Amino acid sequence: MPPLELLLQQALNGVMLGVMYALIAVGFTLFFGVLDVIHFSHGDIFMLGAFAGLSTLLGLAAVGLRAPVAALPLAFVAAILVTGLVGVLAERVCVKPLARSSPLMTLLATLSLGLVIRESVLIFYPRGADPKPFPQLLPQGGFEVGGVAIRYENLAILGIGLAAMVTVDLIIRRTRMGAAIRAVAQDPEAAQMMGVNLDRTVDATFFLGSGLAAVAGILSGLYYSEIHFIMGITGGVIGFSAAAIGGLGNVYGAIVGGLLFGVLQTTSAALIPRGSEFRDVVAFAVVMLFLIVRPRGILGEQSVERV
Amino acid sequence: MLELRGVSTRYGPITMLRSVSLSLAEGRIACLLGPNGAGKTTLIRTILGIVKPVEGEILFEGRRIDRLRTHEIVALGIGVVPEGRRVFPRMTVEENLRMGAFVEWAPADLAARRDRVFSLFPRLAERRRQKAATMSGGEQAMLAVGRALMGRPKLLLLDEPSLGLAPVLVEQLFTMAQAINRSGTTVFLVEQNARKTLEIAHHGFLLQKGEIAGSGSAAELAASPIVRHAYLRA
Repeated sequence: MPPLELLLQQALNGVMLGVMYALIAVGFTLFFGVLDVIHFSHGDIFMLGAFAGLSTLLGLAAVGLRAPVAALPLAFVAAILVTGLVGVLAERVCVKPLARSSPLMTLLATLSLGLVIRESVLIFYPRGADPKPFPQLLPQGGFEVGGVAIRYENLAILGIGLAAMVTVDLIIRRTRMGAAIRAVAQDPEAAQMMGVNLDRTVDATFFLGSGLAAVAGILSGLYYSEIHFIMGITGGVIGFSAAAIGGLGNVYGAIVGGLLFGVLQTTSAALIPRGSEFRDVVAFAVVMLFLIVRPRGILGEQSVERV
Repeated sequence: MLELRGVSTRYGPITMLRSVSLSLAEGRIACLLGPNGAGKTTLIRTILGIVKPVEGEILFEGRRIDRLRTHEIVALGIGVVPEGRRVFPRMTVEENLRMGAFVEWAPADLAARRDRVFSLFPRLAERRRQKAATMSGGEQAMLAVGRALMGRPKLLLLDEPSLGLAPVLVEQLFTMAQAINRSGTTVFLVEQNARKTLEIAHHGFLLQKGEIAGSGSAAELAASPIVRHAYLRA
């Protein structure tokens, strides 16, 4: 049995990873909510967000803007805009035209689009095959509480991730567009009878979900200090799993699912001998178990909490 | 105020409505009677732009609306209580009512509108924070009507509001429709319950197999042989 401090440390790391997973998972769950589709290029949109953020930071550094307080927010805004627009494009090209055909067609179309995004970064980004170092813009150092090391950098990542989630929650629960998203998720036809513009609402949903993936992408770059064009594959599978654990269509479930997945990964690394090699095996085994025991997820579809 | 001129619709190879023409008088209660499968709901869905006519024109206050999209049509001042009520199940009563005012979203008199709905249906006030899915059929019917009123519609479309309701609730609902009409809203009531409907309607139309089979004042309709034979069993 590892010491308690180690477990706590790992749980804390897990929460931080979990916040990133949750940000990806919320996109999956929002898209499923409004259109009943699983958007399989979402993982690559997460990767694209990381690269858009990196390009912005490099561009800003080239013109002499290196101060993190100015450069980071700009990088977030730019990356959110890029992924948001690509997300809307993805929906218009790969999802909506196929609305009346088999879900398998949407699966194929979105998987293909993911491949196109991934290969485009590989080909068009300078030396795209190599992992790219990501600038360390967050405060370094930290402190210790009861044997658990807390790094400022991690607190900042946690804070940004939570702020993004709170923002989405406010958009969904408090704004007119959020009401439209919820209404469309529950009954698209009745929503239109109330005056909701269906196409615009679907666009907004894809912009929102894809923008969140960009936030996750930049956070991932800041955390691992590097990004790679294949990061969207694992990111996508984990994000989708987290959404499925939480119950597809349920925003809060996706957040819980993301956090759970992160904590599972890191604590299994601490609990099992050679655990860090097995962390994904353990985490995905638990996902499979979950899907068998609770196919509707923790907060399943019958839950009134679904958007 | 609402006029259909020779409207036909198809669903695949099947003709659902065949050259339907009708006109609703402003400030009155009009009804659409007809058996199951006559195309009554299709007619409502066509007015709302969910089903597009293959021929004919639809005019609302003199303006053609048959090429507009659903959200644009309702924004002109049409409120709907759709077939099956279609309240938003995972929204509370208050959130559902708010959706009824979606077009304007934050009108200055939003609270006044909601209070008016609550005074018409005190039951909804008691349940304001309850999710619609957990309410009874009768309460959901009230909520659907309340939601439609939140948009201050000039025209209110009611598609079989009495379906599945106990007689006492049907009575209440029809009294409510009359009250709504007296406050200035034109009402278009689609019903199978001909006897009750003809008691409150001013004029109406009879739809059979997708065609208008009769029209006139409520008294004329009640006296017509088809209606007497098929609906009033007189």
